[in-house]
Amino acid sequence: MEIIEQPPVFRLPGIPDQVTYTWLLLVILTGIAFVVSRRVELVPRTSQNVVELVLLQFQGLIDDVIGPEGRAYLPLIATLGLFILSGNLIGLVPGLAGPTANLNTTAACALVVFCAYHYIGIRRHGPLTYLRHFMGPVPWWLKGPMFVIEMISHLARPLSLTLRLFGNMLGGHILLAIMFFLMGLDGLIGWALSGGATGIILGGLGGALMAAFTIGFIYPLKLLVSFLQAFIFVMLTMLYISGAIEGHGEEHGFEHD
Amino acid sequence: MRRSLILAGLTVLGVPGVALAAEGAGTGGGWIGPFAVIAAGLGMAIASGLCGLGQGRAVAAAVEAMGRQPGAAARIQTAMIIGLALIESLAIYMLVIGIILLFVQPIK
Repeated sequence: MEIIEQPPVFRLPGIPDQVTYTWLLLVILTGIAFVVSRRVELVPRTSQNVVELVLLQFQGLIDDVIGPEGRAYLPLIATLGLFILSGNLIGLVPGLAGPTANLNTTAACALVVFCAYHYIGIRRHGPLTYLRHFMGPVPWWLKGPMFVIEMISHLARPLSLTLRLFGNMLGGHILLAIMFFLMGLDGLIGWALSGGATGIILGGLGGALMAAFTIGFIYPLKLLVSFLQAFIFVMLTMLYISGAIEGHGEEHGFEHD
Repeated sequence: MRRSLILAGLTVLGVPGVALAAEGAGTGGGWIGPFAVIAAGLGMAIASGLCGLGQGRAVAAAVEAMGRQPGAAARIQTAMIIGLALIESLAIYMLVIGIILLFVQPIK
């Protein structure tokens, strides 16, 4: 990917960029949590207010999707959501790299979700009952094929979680990189600076148009996609956990894919 | 019209092979690479077009439902966004395959 994308400005030697920026995010998020939770008051002041507002959003979502018993999983869900959201957003800052635009980070998040909801389901129902849920409410001769299909469906979940986040983020980054490449010193602005009347008129005009398009349209779009993908990841996580709590037979709303 | 379209398609698909055959195999490049670029572009076009059709149907149905029952708009919107994400992931698979074909090039 180094063909078109510039490496980030701050790199640690011998450590991949996504790991560096994951550590940066860890320091930032843990720092915020530490500073805010050092002095928790009953009547919250400014910083505590903001963090409580964010966490209340997660709590409302959990109440909507899982129900009141899902509040035990607020730490898992809110951590995933905040990490993915800040990972998406830090990729938008020029000169920094977004850790979620790398397959390893998203695969790690999806594997955490995969292990977590199976663990929750097994804890809730016991291993045998949980396995029996995979067969669904069907006649006995359909139970074998149903089990295989459910297995494939469950194995496809971390794959689709991984690839959705990774593809959205990397696609946006490549789009931005191509836009900046086309209007940069190798492209239209370089043409405008090279002298010559045609170059100055066409290159300057095209460069200005492209800069306006990139900053006015593609950046807000990427911002929207960052929030949306974090929301979708969290939402699907909650749906999987809710399915594991209730057993798979009853609810087949969004379970496929 | 149709014949010219077929001719244009054959030209697009055939030119890289012919050009590479003229260049000769001695240059080291395989003949799959140029076709992989075409496959990535065509596949992404088909995938995003059909994904747009599917998402359009989903959004149309959701907006109609919201118009009929404004009270349930929040729940419908949540379900719509999840559905859109699941539909979109099919196009994202193609995007990942296209990125692999273009940048990783596992098959030379």
